[in-house]
Amino acid sequence: MSTLLTYISVNDGKIKRSSLEVLSRCNELAEQHNLISAAIIIDKDAAGLAKQLKAYGPSVIYIIEDPVFKNHLNTPLIRALSLAIEKINPNILAFASTEGSKDILGALSANRGAASLSDVSEFELTDTGVKAKRPVMASKIISAVEANDSLVLITVRSGSYDAVEHPADSKIEEIPFTIDDIDLKMILKEIITASGDKIDLSEAETVIAAGRGVKDEEGRKLIDELASVLNAGIGASRALTEAGVYDPSLQIGQTGKVVSPQLYIGIGISGAIQHVAGMANSKVIVAINKDPDAPIFDIADYGIVGDLYKILPPFIEELKKIKSN
Amino acid sequence: MKIYVCIKQVPDVNAPLQIKDGALIQDADRNILNAYDASAVEAALVLQEKHGGEIEVVLIGNDKARETIRKALAMGADSGVFIQEQIDTLYDSYSYASLLAAFFKDKEYDYIFCGKQSQDTDAGLTGSMLAELLGLPFVTNAVWLEYSGNSLTVKRQGDTGQEVIELPSPGLVTCSNDMNDPRIPNLKGIMQSKRKPVETISVNELGADRLAVKTTILGYEEKPAREPGKKYEGEPDEIARQVARLLDEAENVI
Amino acid sequence: MDEKFDCIIVGAGVAGLAAAMTLARNNMKFLLIEKGEFPGSKNVSGGVLWGSDLAKLVPDYWEKDAGWDRYINHRRLTFMDGQSAFSVDFKSSHFNETPYTGVVVLRSKFDRWLADNVQSAIDASDFAMDSFIAPNILVDEVLMEAGRAIGIRTGDERFYADSVIIAEGVNNLLTRQVGLQDHYVPADHILTGIKEIIRFDQKVLEDRFQLNGRSGMSNEFVGFATDGVEGGGFLYTNKDTVSLGLVLGLKDLREKEKTPNDILNTFKQHPVIADMIRGGEVVEYSAHVVSSGDKRVMPERLYKEGLLVCGEAANLLMNAGKAIQGMDYAMRSGILAAEAIVNAKQAGDFSEASMKKYQDALDNSYVMKDINNFQDAVHLLHDPVMTQKMPNLLCDFGRNFFSIKNEPTQKARHMLGDSVRKYSSYWELLKVGMKGAKAL
Ligand SMILES: Cc1cc2nc3c(=O)[nH]c(=O)nc-3n(C[C@H](O)[C@H](O)[C@H](O)COP(=O)(O)OP(=O)(O)OC[C@H]3O[C@@H](n4cnc5c(N)ncnc54)[C@H](O)[C@@H]3O)c2cc1C
Ligand SMILES: Cc1cc2nc3c(=O)[nH]c(=O)nc-3n(C[C@H](O)[C@H](O)[C@H](O)COP(=O)(O)OP(=O)(O)OC[C@H]3O[C@@H](n4cnc5c(N)ncnc54)[C@H](O)[C@@H]3O)c2cc1C
Ligand SMILES: Nc1ncnc2c1ncn2[C@@H]1O[C@H](COP(=O)(O)O)[C@@H](O)[C@H]1O
Repeated sequence: MSTLLTYISVNDGKIKRSSLEVLSRCNELAEQHNLISAAIIIDKDAAGLAKQLKAYGPSVIYIIEDPVFKNHLNTPLIRALSLAIEKINPNILAFASTEGSKDILGALSANRGAASLSDVSEFELTDTGVKAKRPVMASKIISAVEANDSLVLITVRSGSYDAVEHPADSKIEEIPFTIDDIDLKMILKEIITASGDKIDLSEAETVIAAGRGVKDEEGRKLIDELASVLNAGIGASRALTEAGVYDPSLQIGQTGKVVSPQLYIGIGISGAIQHVAGMANSKVIVAINKDPDAPIFDIADYGIVGDLYKILPPFIEELKKIKSN
Repeated sequence: MKIYVCIKQVPDVNAPLQIKDGALIQDADRNILNAYDASAVEAALVLQEKHGGEIEVVLIGNDKARETIRKALAMGADSGVFIQEQIDTLYDSYSYASLLAAFFKDKEYDYIFCGKQSQDTDAGLTGSMLAELLGLPFVTNAVWLEYSGNSLTVKRQGDTGQEVIELPSPGLVTCSNDMNDPRIPNLKGIMQSKRKPVETISVNELGADRLAVKTTILGYEEKPAREPGKKYEGEPDEIARQVARLLDEAENVI
Repeated sequence: MDEKFDCIIVGAGVAGLAAAMTLARNNMKFLLIEKGEFPGSKNVSGGVLWGSDLAKLVPDYWEKDAGWDRYINHRRLTFMDGQSAFSVDFKSSHFNETPYTGVVVLRSKFDRWLADNVQSAIDASDFAMDSFIAPNILVDEVLMEAGRAIGIRTGDERFYADSVIIAEGVNNLLTRQVGLQDHYVPADHILTGIKEIIRFDQKVLEDRFQLNGRSGMSNEFVGFATDGVEGGGFLYTNKDTVSLGLVLGLKDLREKEKTPNDILNTFKQHPVIADMIRGGEVVEYSAHVVSSGDKRVMPERLYKEGLLVCGEAANLLMNAGKAIQGMDYAMRSGILAAEAIVNAKQAGDFSEASMKKYQDALDNSYVMKDINNFQDAVHLLHDPVMTQKMPNLLCDFGRNFFSIKNEPTQKARHMLGDSVRKYSSYWELLKVGMKGAKAL
């Protein structure tokens, strides 16, 4: 019987919710088509994480454990996955769409001669392969695509499916792995992370996004205050990441991250298509902009027309009141 | 140092588009140099200004796409290769990567730069596919570069921060537009571009006779429309509080 | 390649492209500079290109699919009040003959296509490697030396030529900079044009407007269209879209405190317009300044030593009610300017006297003849009687004339009399009528 294999992304020692979403989708498909749903964890502490994963019930959890996987680096990861594919021989290998999985998808596909579909928002199995939907043209439209190959690699946008708990007594199987430093071919010298406490944007329930309208320290303070009242992740438009005001990892949009929170509040953001490409799937969209014709109002559920410096203080105050009740 | 930059012509996503019976209809004339590739060209130019060397751009495309090579030459690249594609096949990232691999097979270079993705499809596959096919180490989603005399130091935007990687040569880098602001060609550049050499090769000459297409586009559809909601205009204090309460009471997202 | 050009043309709109095509065909070495991302990227017209000069630039253009949308064989002028529309409608198969006397174009497509044709002409000339179309470059200054144009400056780059053609369009900063136009143009000589492109299923469009093959319709509107503001409206059929828009007096807009957008929305809700655009989807919105076509703001001289001004930069435009003519004037003046340069080059004489031949040729062409002959009509169009009372009156009359009630019907003459008394006076009409008769 053939296998649907889900790669489990790990960040800071935690399983990323978005990969649980993908696993849940694979569980569902496996059930429908009478296939095996399996997962693979590649990490320095894969065994520990495998136990947690049982709550999401793949039939088999493969693990590859090695200190080299402490940080993301593409060479060992491609090697490990290639090994796993040889051993497991899955029909599908699905990833959550992250900077990590996007880094290796093409190379792995060339390595295995497999078809690959990146950043899909929906996928299903056909008799011969996979059918999927992908947003294209800066997410203005959707393309329906098909890949018919014995192995299809897919990355799935976060928020495309729900993560559904499904406890099972998954079998855990380790795949032996070693790599010499020389085979890494490159050296990871350091990782520069933004300071401050981090809420993973792509998984946040509430996202506050700041744009060029946020002009100064005072504006940023208001953003911080709002985010802390709502326990929200802070993101930004390219205008502000480019200017170095916010860390580039906080950019939301075509170049940056895709978010799909319950609540997105865009502040001083015009709503260029490349930004919208990264947030249009938010459940409730609020926009604060002083220009009544700003394109973001075309997609906002609540469009507040006004100067953010005048809007935010009473907005924050009212939210605090609501929170304290 | 010899740098090749792979560039692609893509439809301008800002141009109006229309879907008719599942087919995408666009203004055939609104094509541009992929923004991420423009950043790759810019990155190569900056390196060249500091360290010397030669920059050659490579583009696979139909006849109309040739003008995009001129654009890169006008920015400052030294020469171009135009790989003329057959018009009747729909290429995907895999097929472009295979053709590029066939082209690079017997070439010598220090680095190949690609864009991190095509602006129209956002596939983001060709660069790393090409690297794997050529057996090159690679870094994707680069936001910063520096050359030390024998290797490149590249910062890539990763999930948890910027990963600083030392990439030996030969190697491949895919560039984000967050890396730089590509220069707009000046008049001299535009004028000089006309005299720079552009070699034309047909896809068949590359010996990649059987084209490796792995994915098929079945059609296009509209995105489910998002109804614009309500606009609140007026006294800042009032509308701010009003929306805050609605987010709690009507939407339950606070 | 650093040596000098025969000519540098500033602006790749209709005028600049027409000049460039003429230069290329005459084997001249030139530079055509456009500030937009590509020729046509920001240009706005209604837009019907009237006349047949296009055939001079691109022979047999009608056999080509690209570039233009439809030819006009159906014209309509409509007077509107709040609910009604009274139209003069003319359709003729005469207009089916080529070269057409009017084609509808979308500028971003048309200019680009024309530029491609210019590029082909360059490629076929002796200066295939030495003549250039350079987009995305803003000309900051026309370089002058002892009263003569010697080149241009963009940023810190300078390029030199025997001659410069300014074809920069209505925002004629360079024309002012070289001193051919006053720096100050009164607001009542400036109009603002706004336009939406509304898309339909092509079949629906063709059925709705009775189009056949590539035939098309032009419709101008006077009266309620502009909600009391001086100006007019237009609707032109493109391939599968219509261009719907307004041209409005800037001064009047300010005085009446109205925005073009609001007026356009009111216009679109008028039952007659609403019926025409029902089911369509707005796919583009654009706005652009237009000159009033009033000869009083035209520069007296369109030349200096080594320098010519053409197109709307020279305020060559006519808006006398039945249509806006700007593109055809731009095209003809561009051709004439280039011809003057070709002659000057042959004679090796770029003196003022030599450049003046351009203005003489323009004076003798239909462009200046029409502009001179129809000045009164231009003024009349800006008369409130024409923009308000006349449409109301005609619609009132139409309503009475065309309604059949179950009671004795008045003679048309009496109905007209009633309408006139309601909205105007015979005296006022007589004045307008006399003016009109003289003007047209
Ligand atoms: C290939 C490509 C990829 C891109 N990827 C991304 C991406 O991933 N993410 C992204 O964000 N962009 C991306 N961009 C850039 C994008 O096109 C826009 O330039 C960018 O999103 C603009 O950011 P902004 O809305 O903050 O700034 P602006 O467009 O300048 O808008 C600022 C807004 O703030 C409002 N404002 C100003 N002051 C105030 C005030 N006091 N109160 C209230 N409102 C105020 C203004 O009315 C205006 O609407 C990309 C572009 C390209 C070409
Ligand atoms: C709403 C509207 C409707 C209209 N309808 C019609 C119609 O139906 N029929 C008709 O015949 N006319 C119509 N017109 C008028 C017509 O558009 C103009 O008369 C015509 O475009 C003039 O052509 P041009 O080549 O002189 O100028 P433009 O077409 O304006 O071209 C000037 C070019 O110069 C470029 N440029 C300017 N300054 C510089 C610089 N410093 N450096 C480099 N490049 C520069 C500009 O980017 C532009 O491309 C309409 C106008 C409007 C606004
Ligand atoms: N036709 C092509 N010619 C040259 N390079 C290409 C071509 N297609 C893709 N590329 C390179 O691959 C990148 C995009 O990959 P992808 O997103 O997979 O389409 C581009 O930024 C280019 O660097």
